[in-house]
Amino acid sequence: MTSLVLTVRETLRYRGAIGQWSWVLHRLTGVGVVLFLALHVIDTSWAVFYPDLYVKAIAAYQSPIFTLGEFGLVFAVVYHAFNGIRIVIFDYRPELWRHQAQAAVAVLVISLLVLAPVFLGMLSHVVDFYVTEQAIAGGKFMDVIVFSIIEQLPFIAGFVGVLAAAIVLAAVFSLARGDASQRGKTPQASPVERFWWGFMRLSGILIVPLVFGHLALMHVVQGVFDITAAQEVAGTLATNGTIGVVPSAVEFVYHRWSYAAGGVFVWRVYDLFLLVLVTLHGFNGLRYVLTDYTSFNDFARRTSVALCTVIAAVLLAVGAASLFVPLEKDIIHEAMAATAEIYELRGEEVPAELEAFLSEDR
Amino acid sequence: MDVTFKIRRQNPDMPDRRKPYWQEFLLADVDPTDRVLEMLHRIKWEQDGTLSLRRSCAHGICGSDAMRINGVNRLACKVLVRDLGERIQIEPILGMPVIKDLIVDMEPFFEHYRRVMPYFVNDDPLPADGRERLQTQADRELFDDSTKCILCACCTTSCPSFWANGHYVGPAAIVQAHRFIFDTRDQAGQERLDILSEPNGVWRCRTIFNCTPACPRDIEVTKAIGEVKLAIRKRKTIGIIQPNVSH
Repeated sequence: MTSLVLTVRETLRYRGAIGQWSWVLHRLTGVGVVLFLALHVIDTSWAVFYPDLYVKAIAAYQSPIFTLGEFGLVFAVVYHAFNGIRIVIFDYRPELWRHQAQAAVAVLVISLLVLAPVFLGMLSHVVDFYVTEQAIAGGKFMDVIVFSIIEQLPFIAGFVGVLAAAIVLAAVFSLARGDASQRGKTPQASPVERFWWGFMRLSGILIVPLVFGHLALMHVVQGVFDITAAQEVAGTLATNGTIGVVPSAVEFVYHRWSYAAGGVFVWRVYDLFLLVLVTLHGFNGLRYVLTDYTSFNDFARRTSVALCTVIAAVLLAVGAASLFVPLEKDIIHEAMAATAEIYELRGEEVPAELEAFLSEDR
Repeated sequence: MDVTFKIRRQNPDMPDRRKPYWQEFLLADVDPTDRVLEMLHRIKWEQDGTLSLRRSCAHGICGSDAMRINGVNRLACKVLVRDLGERIQIEPILGMPVIKDLIVDMEPFFEHYRRVMPYFVNDDPLPADGRERLQTQADRELFDDSTKCILCACCTTSCPSFWANGHYVGPAAIVQAHRFIFDTRDQAGQERLDILSEPNGVWRCRTIFNCTPACPRDIEVTKAIGEVKLAIRKRKTIGIIQPNVSH
């Protein structure tokens, strides 16, 4: 903790050049994206495992706080991507270092140029949402958010559980290995760190097109506001992906992951690549950040490593499970019921089509 | 011109000065071409004899008087007042324990330095004439830049990775290792690469680029670190440095 406080304070006081600020921004955006990733993978898996929770989570995301967060997220991803490319270039061509300051400025300029039209596109969805009747009025709106947060208590409990598991793991590991300071001071070459250094650069480059495609489809072409209203799913053929009379987020996911081209579930494969690369890249990055500030204490450092490992393993397992599990039509029925519940919570009348659908179902 | 010096002071031996504090000194008749080190001497000799600092040669060769001047690490003997203005802020370099005022305990720095085996290793018999081991000019060029280091610690103590983690070997030690790793006559290159590929070796470098402008000898520090990283990645030292590109 002391080294974190010291580093933050002195980074503000030291008059480093633009490289220092690029580093700060790269860290902040990276940590921000990783935190979102944890939430996103778990929530999306609910579309398959707990459709009613997914419907409520999406309702919470259609709120102003999350809308601001979404703009922040897209900025973070775009900046982190371009700055990452800069880092990779100078890592493999260190002799170009004299151009690094210009490159850091170029990264900012390119990020802003790319973000301008992207933000306009995202804004149009926000505007559309708030001028249509989908938007929820004042007080009732808070009810939905509070309700959704309570519904997500299992998720928060899970996170606390993972944290506890990481601390226990670190303690066990510490006992088994003994104190590092007693193992003698002979430095050990680390093939592990050598591997991760290369992996971070390779995966970073591979992630850029994948994540840009993902952002374009899920945040610009169709945003979080559309997936409960869309009649078709972008990136799938209309005939295949036409959504029912009362669209729900679960049905959107269902059609997206059911879409097969030439026998291949395109979006499941795409999302699997994204899941694996981003989780490994993100949580190894988080490990870098945490161990930078915990190296003064063996236990704190090991807890950091264990924490990153455990969370990454959980996300990979849950994410992959939701991608591999066969999709049942039942989840759409459950989502319909949850949608009706939200209408009731808002004090609005449940649409006749939905009522009919649910009573038929019973 | 009149110049105000604001100096970060601390004396762990005196109970009331154990905590760092700022003290201002006003100097009259300062010539714009005066060096900061001379002004620190004037303060010590004319105003407050207890002000403590390190310096030896006073000409940018010994590397004793590294300090943070107006927010950046410099050698006090190489900075002119005219490049700083009428208010000059001076504090000790960061990342090592302060002994008194501007003097820090350099032992952690030299411990990292010793770890990278900063000496020539070659167990082959001497050449027949008993004189030097000859080398082509092109081979000498590969590590020419990293021979210039004077171990002043300006680079290492400008590095946020080092501030956060004193176990990180730091830019200066990597530059020193670079000088021998890329020397074609040296035989311990692989050993040094092994030492630097431990978790607190080169991998803690985040290419923040604070070290390069901090170097009073204009060594291309971040570039040298990058070359060592590539040598570890590619498991070779030949062909890592592109001759004649850097100049």
